[in-house]
Amino acid sequence: MTSTGTRAAVAITKLQSMPSLFTRRALRTVVTICLLMSMRPGSGYGQTGKPERPPAGKRTTTSDDGNGLIDVQPSDLLKTPVTNNWTSYNGDYSGARHSGLTQITRANVGRLAAQWVFHPRTVSPLEVTPVVVAGVMFVTSANDAYALDAKTGKVLWHHIRAVSQGLVDDPAQHHNRGVAILGTRVYMETDNAHLLCLDARSGHLIWEVAFGTGNKNDGATSAPLIVKDKVVVGISGGDAGVRGFLAAFDAETGEEKWRFWTIPGPGEKGNESWPGDSYLHGGGATWMPGTYDPDLNTLYWGTGNPAPDFDGSVRPGDDLYTSCLLALDPDTGALKWYFQFSPHDLYDYDAVQTPVIVNARFKGQPRKLIVTANRNGFLYILDRTNGKFLFATPFMNTQNWAKAIDENGRPIPAGRTPDEKGVRVCPANGGATNWYSPSYDPSSHLFYFRSFEACAIIQSNIKPFEVGRTYYASGTRSVDEPAKAYINAFDLNTLDFAWRDLQIGRNKGWGGVMSTATGLVAYGDDANNFVILDGQTGKPLWHFHVGQLVHASPMSYAIDGKQYFAIAAGSDLFSFALP
Amino acid sequence: MWPRRVEALLVVAILFGCASRGVQAQSTNAERGAQRFMEYCAGCHGADGMGGDKAPALVSPSNSTHLSDSELFRIVHDGTKGGMPPFAQIGDANIRAVVEFLTRLRNNAPPTNASAEAAVPGDVDTGRTLYFGKAQCSACHLMQGKGGFIARNLTSYGRTRSAEEILHAITNPDTPLVPSSQVATVTTRTGQKLTGPLRNEDSFTLALQTEDGRYHLLSRSDVTDIHYSGHSLMPRDYRTRLSPKELNDIVSFLIIASRNPPPDKAEGR
Ligand code: HEC
Ligand code: HEC
Repeated sequence: MTSTGTRAAVAITKLQSMPSLFTRRALRTVVTICLLMSMRPGSGYGQTGKPERPPAGKRTTTSDDGNGLIDVQPSDLLKTPVTNNWTSYNGDYSGARHSGLTQITRANVGRLAAQWVFHPRTVSPLEVTPVVVAGVMFVTSANDAYALDAKTGKVLWHHIRAVSQGLVDDPAQHHNRGVAILGTRVYMETDNAHLLCLDARSGHLIWEVAFGTGNKNDGATSAPLIVKDKVVVGISGGDAGVRGFLAAFDAETGEEKWRFWTIPGPGEKGNESWPGDSYLHGGGATWMPGTYDPDLNTLYWGTGNPAPDFDGSVRPGDDLYTSCLLALDPDTGALKWYFQFSPHDLYDYDAVQTPVIVNARFKGQPRKLIVTANRNGFLYILDRTNGKFLFATPFMNTQNWAKAIDENGRPIPAGRTPDEKGVRVCPANGGATNWYSPSYDPSSHLFYFRSFEACAIIQSNIKPFEVGRTYYASGTRSVDEPAKAYINAFDLNTLDFAWRDLQIGRNKGWGGVMSTATGLVAYGDDANNFVILDGQTGKPLWHFHVGQLVHASPMSYAIDGKQYFAIAAGSDLFSFALP
Repeated sequence: MWPRRVEALLVVAILFGCASRGVQAQSTNAERGAQRFMEYCAGCHGADGMGGDKAPALVSPSNSTHLSDSELFRIVHDGTKGGMPPFAQIGDANIRAVVEFLTRLRNNAPPTNASAEAAVPGDVDTGRTLYFGKAQCSACHLMQGKGGFIARNLTSYGRTRSAEEILHAITNPDTPLVPSSQVATVTTRTGQKLTGPLRNEDSFTLALQTEDGRYHLLSRSDVTDIHYSGHSLMPRDYRTRLSPKELNDIVSFLIIASRNPPPDKAEGR
């Protein structure tokens, strides 16, 4: 507080009780105050303590309908499969991206029609999966967040935030995959790795924390995941030499609760792969949302490739915990177990593809499983209670980097070590699959995912880490062979593919898949179409030409009994329903 | 003779005038910039500078966010090969005003108010107490993460406005009335009456938010009557409900609070 301020205030009070217009005295006071006010004030306003939780709206009915009241309880997030609401990036915690909605069926899907288009005008392509609660849809595009009327696509609020300059690699393209929601708040990550807490009813910023390490190569593109009272975030920048981590923040205050480093520091298990201070640039980014099993109280999260990508000579050994699946205690961040898909990876084989939680019979026994199709070209089944390897099968015909997977799940490398000339490796560095979402239908036990068959010449060179640069340590060349993409249905009962649908189109599609309780599978194909096919047969039932490349995964929601499908394509978001 | 209250306000105005010495000219310039922007630029770049079918965004994200004022001036003055028309004809003063407005629109706009140095006219701590207490500003307006949601976030409000402008906004609400803040009362087919700001409206649908935060997403065909209040929820009696000193204190709080906010960014609806 400034003394000048107090005097000014006193002067006004005095004047108020004076009968006449300006007296000399009043004028003199004014002049004095002007003089005093030109003096420098002390620091007046102290930073407030922790923000209070805004009062929650009164819950008259559940928000699992179109009633427009946003108040998501932790128990609402446990619902599986999701129906009217789609409460997180993957729908529910299992990562199955499977909707329990049943209005749209094989019989009527042919009549599906576009309902609206939303054009956020910031980035292209959009990579967001919308979240829908109570008829309100939350979408991100670059660092901007929007709430839309999910029936009409019209904007209810818009939180504007400029993109960050000077970022490296993926975050420099400002992609963002969406929000997480709890109570009356939504959470999002920004391109420069800040976690924002916004009021879901207004879009206003409640708090913000920078969760990166201060390394300029840090960035974020993912959607956060809420687990109980915490918001869990991952980091991008594994090809730019960040030190990967997962961090959990108190959803109410933004206070950091735990942090798990995916690259062990000095004295920690696995540090032998990281001589000197190379652990500070070891990669192992955590750039896609994980999954969560409330019964086992375990968080499952995939980690990215080691850095530098293609030069393994500076990181001897297995390079823990890169290209792994981590099982963590969500309350403390303690590691329960890990499974490494690609030890000492040399080909940019991130393992961030959704680790889908599946309860099914495996070889006749009911088991708690993780099913995941990995970028390295193999589909894995693990026991999620202990990380034990159960099964792997290649899903790419031309795979050549591993001779086989041994009985412990460890690949036997074919010895293709990148050098200056380059070696031909299949799958290419872009992977036999990638971050585009898989899906699992618990009634048919079919696991759906997009795959990609291409090879690349991968070259390596020794290169030091530099701030502001990528850290691939050399690069790749494409090979003169046609690439192929498939939508796959893998049957957990037979442990074989039920069908594989070869994609026809000129583009490399980046569209993930989702499934519904009526046996439909929705995805974006390689020719700018949004397609719905019969999950049993793989036969397309309906399509709509969105006219832009699909670089995102679809979702479904319902309002007042009407079911919708939404998909981001290019710079637009589309919604479809029956007429 | 002047009524007492007017006299007091006159003094307040004079006080504010000297508090924002040298800043005032700048802020009127920015206001003019806002008008000119609406007139000349919004048609292509969008009213919020967020871009449209005809032109790119000038804020969030855009290349122009790292253009200097002189580079911006040149672009607006001369146009570009890519389709930005030249605006030399509107005069240098108008171009400068538009450029200043663009700076304000943008994220890291430097404080046009007070530049962290100028004094404030009242008692900041009292202002803070009033904001969260008796004056009930926090029931509607967020401030540094605390407060309501129904009205705009005031965290960085004081950073780009003079004390005079802020006082004016508090004591003369709804000048101008922001369309998405206008309160309407809607009667639905079932006879239900709903009152609150109309967040979105067109020939087919309405989105009305009631004070409990609930969005009512209605089709025109579900609505039998709409009454537009012509006002926002901002109380219209602060001029009389609060004393000039109290108003001073609140204005001072808004200015000082905006100087050390958490990194709050541009906001819009
Ligand atoms: C007829 C439509 C139109 C109008 C009106 C218009 N602009 Fe533009 N503006 C454009 C287009 C198109 C571009 C992109 C030009 C290019 O890429 O060379 C542009 C580019 C710009 C840029 C550069 C943006 C960047 O990121 O490089 C600025 C700054 C700008 N306009 C400001 C203004 C201002 C200020 C006004 C009002 C005085 C205005 N524009 C009016 C069409 C318009
Ligand atoms: C009952 C709710 C309510 C209360 C209480 C309230 N306001 Fe407002 N205020 C609004 C609304 C609604 C608007 C219109 C703009 C919007 O939607 O945010 C507004 C507008 C404003 C504006 C102008 C914003 C602009 O865009 O220029 C200022 C400044 C402001 N209020 C300050 C205050 C202060 C200071 C107090 C306490 C003394 C206060 N308000 C109390 C609801 C409220």
